[in-house]
Amino acid sequence: MGDVAKLLADHGPAFWQALLLTWKLTALAFVPGFALGVAVAALRLFPLAPLRACLAFYVEIFRNIPSVALLIFIVFALPDLEVVIDYEHSVVLTLALVCSAFTADYLRTGINTIPSGQIEAALSLGMRPARVISSIVLPQALRSVVQPITSLLIALMLSTSLASQVPMPGRELTALVSKMGNDAAIGMAAFMVAAAMYVATGLLIAWAGATLDRKVRILR
Amino acid sequence: MRRTLEDTLFGAPSPRTRALTRAGNFVAAGALLLLAAGIAYRFHSAGQLEPRYWQFFAWPTTWAFLAKGLLGTLASAAMSAVIALSLGLMLMLGRLSRLRLVRWPSIAAIEFLRGTPTLLLIYLCFLVLPSIGVKLSTYWMLTLPIGFSTAAVVAEVYRAGVLAVPRGQTDAARSLGMTGTQVFFTIVFPQALRYIVPALVAQLVIVVKDTTFGYVVTYGELMQNAKVLIANYHSLVPVYLVVAALYCLVNYGISRASRRLGRPMH
Amino acid sequence: MSITTLLKSTVAALAIAGSGSLLAQGTPIDAAAFDALVAAGPVASPDVIAASPWASKIKQAGALRLGGTQTSNLFSLLNEKDGRMRGFDAGLAQLVTRYILGDASKIQFTQVNSSTREQVLINGQVDMVMATYSITPARAEKISFAGPYYTSQAGVLVKSNNKAIQSYNDLAGKKVATQAGSTGPAILAQFAPKSTVQEFQTHQEALDSLRQGRVDAYVTDHTLLLNALSLGTGDAKLAGAPFGAQDPYGIGLPKGSDGVAFVNAFLKKIEADGTWAKLWTISIGQRTGSTAVPTPPALP
Repeated sequence: MGDVAKLLADHGPAFWQALLLTWKLTALAFVPGFALGVAVAALRLFPLAPLRACLAFYVEIFRNIPSVALLIFIVFALPDLEVVIDYEHSVVLTLALVCSAFTADYLRTGINTIPSGQIEAALSLGMRPARVISSIVLPQALRSVVQPITSLLIALMLSTSLASQVPMPGRELTALVSKMGNDAAIGMAAFMVAAAMYVATGLLIAWAGATLDRKVRILR
Repeated sequence: MRRTLEDTLFGAPSPRTRALTRAGNFVAAGALLLLAAGIAYRFHSAGQLEPRYWQFFAWPTTWAFLAKGLLGTLASAAMSAVIALSLGLMLMLGRLSRLRLVRWPSIAAIEFLRGTPTLLLIYLCFLVLPSIGVKLSTYWMLTLPIGFSTAAVVAEVYRAGVLAVPRGQTDAARSLGMTGTQVFFTIVFPQALRYIVPALVAQLVIVVKDTTFGYVVTYGELMQNAKVLIANYHSLVPVYLVVAALYCLVNYGISRASRRLGRPMH
Repeated sequence: MSITTLLKSTVAALAIAGSGSLLAQGTPIDAAAFDALVAAGPVASPDVIAASPWASKIKQAGALRLGGTQTSNLFSLLNEKDGRMRGFDAGLAQLVTRYILGDASKIQFTQVNSSTREQVLINGQVDMVMATYSITPARAEKISFAGPYYTSQAGVLVKSNNKAIQSYNDLAGKKVATQAGSTGPAILAQFAPKSTVQEFQTHQEALDSLRQGRVDAYVTDHTLLLNALSLGTGDAKLAGAPFGAQDPYGIGLPKGSDGVAFVNAFLKKIEADGTWAKLWTISIGQRTGSTAVPTPPALP
């Protein structure tokens, strides 16, 4: 315990900055990633074969590619195609793309839980399919996937540890701990502090997700 | 067979809708072709289509070299999966136990392993464990953290499966005089497994993805061999594209193979 | 022109066209000369080995566990077609292996980078690290160094069309790449404190970042920069002369290991009999256009 106290005294601000950066990367990646995933899931419903095939391909690629491979491609290979994205944005882009693929996938499962009777009723009322999707399908689908999306958000938060692999100006928790480990023998204390911060954030997200789920889930 | 939502929504189209759909298909196909052409053009104008960046892919030695890297990836992934499946089972049993002394440490272990990034655990094995005297080989420095990290998630997946088995089955089995252990291993668990196979396979895919962190502990796998090819031929885009495609293919293959097994929970 | 001359020039032209990769690699290493040099290296007598516990352990294990790099063009590059590594560092490592085990190919190789070089020695994952490893007091606290076997000053590499940077004095406010865990960060802190430093894990990544325009300059050992120029893609140049202190490269060994004395004795041997100079010529001299063979640094 004395180790931990000394560590926090010496490096407290650095840990706090790292934690904030972790949260920032998570938020910056989740919001566009989630929105993109919803758009992909909705567009996949339309009966346009080329569009469906292309979006299915998109989802399979970004679900199956390792995030490190994607990040390395964006950071090191894209510039050879004359697309240079700075490091922090590359990390956010990587995480957002992967997040969108998983969101689209989970949402698809959610969409399939909606009874078709509702759709038939809506159509018989004269609603256009697009309207049906936006007013009936999506709201209910979103309400039914809160739990998997919460897990996804936690996984996304843990994946921000990727940022330690590119020379970003700021250091998030994993980058901070690995740098401290390389500079001096820091022992378990630094790792435990970083692990505790990750676990605490994860539990916070899980609690928020569970509360939201209880409020909005649909019991059929 | 149950109709999908899309069928209900867009089934039985009117002539006008059919015409709109045909036009839409046209436009969508056209837009996608334009996109593909644009990408190909960008490759060309950046000089990435020159033969010297691709010609070494015609040599069998290149593929043999990449295959060696892939073998390293799979060797680590396979062992991590075994660790995850067996340790996950133990953790789940501990979590469901009625003894507080067993349950609380299991919950703590699961929350800790689930709540920390795998990369952090890998750094732990590489930087910290040796200083307290635990010296693992390169292979185990990658495989153990991945295995342990995934075990926690697998434990939760097992638990979800077990909780999804209808309670009535347990009750009936108990009323027949079977002991708790018998009930669990002969009635509940086999059924739970069949529910959760897709989720377990999803974890297997994650394990393969995690092996790309091998270079952090100097383990030789596919990404490392890609870097050697790049150092030899200076062909960043083609090599990284091919390697990314290889990973996608392997993972897609694993997911595809799983669709034959298991049935959904509802 | 006679038929034979015509045929010969056609074959030559086709060979050059087909070997487009030449342009990408600069002058490739003379593989035959390299292999021959390594195969002719000295072999230690059994009592020399017996006198060193470090060498005896390696001899007993039957292979030398080496930490190095496979992606450094001048110092150690793996040719994936024949599975052999060639370069200055690779040559020295293979000569040491032949010295102890009689066979230069009995190496168990582990790829390391700037961040993992010390840890693999501390963890006991390798017996020796040969990876353009600069000797610094900070590192000497964690591990031991044999050598130095080479010295190099720092240099600044910029794109050919960069007129703004003429030497390390012009780096203030610019983005500069360097290798993480190398002497680069310390050198930049001393000579160009107002520059924005980006640290990369490998030499190749730092070079690519310069080529792709993510950084304005790349500061690292002068020899590595000569290597980059030898690649012949033509759009980089050195800004100013080599500067800073002479950076000694050493061979990483576990802390306090007696291998230090053993390897130093080996280095003295190959420096005396000309093998060091020949290796330098084959792996560095011929490929960077330098003809003057440097004198090897003094050994302690």
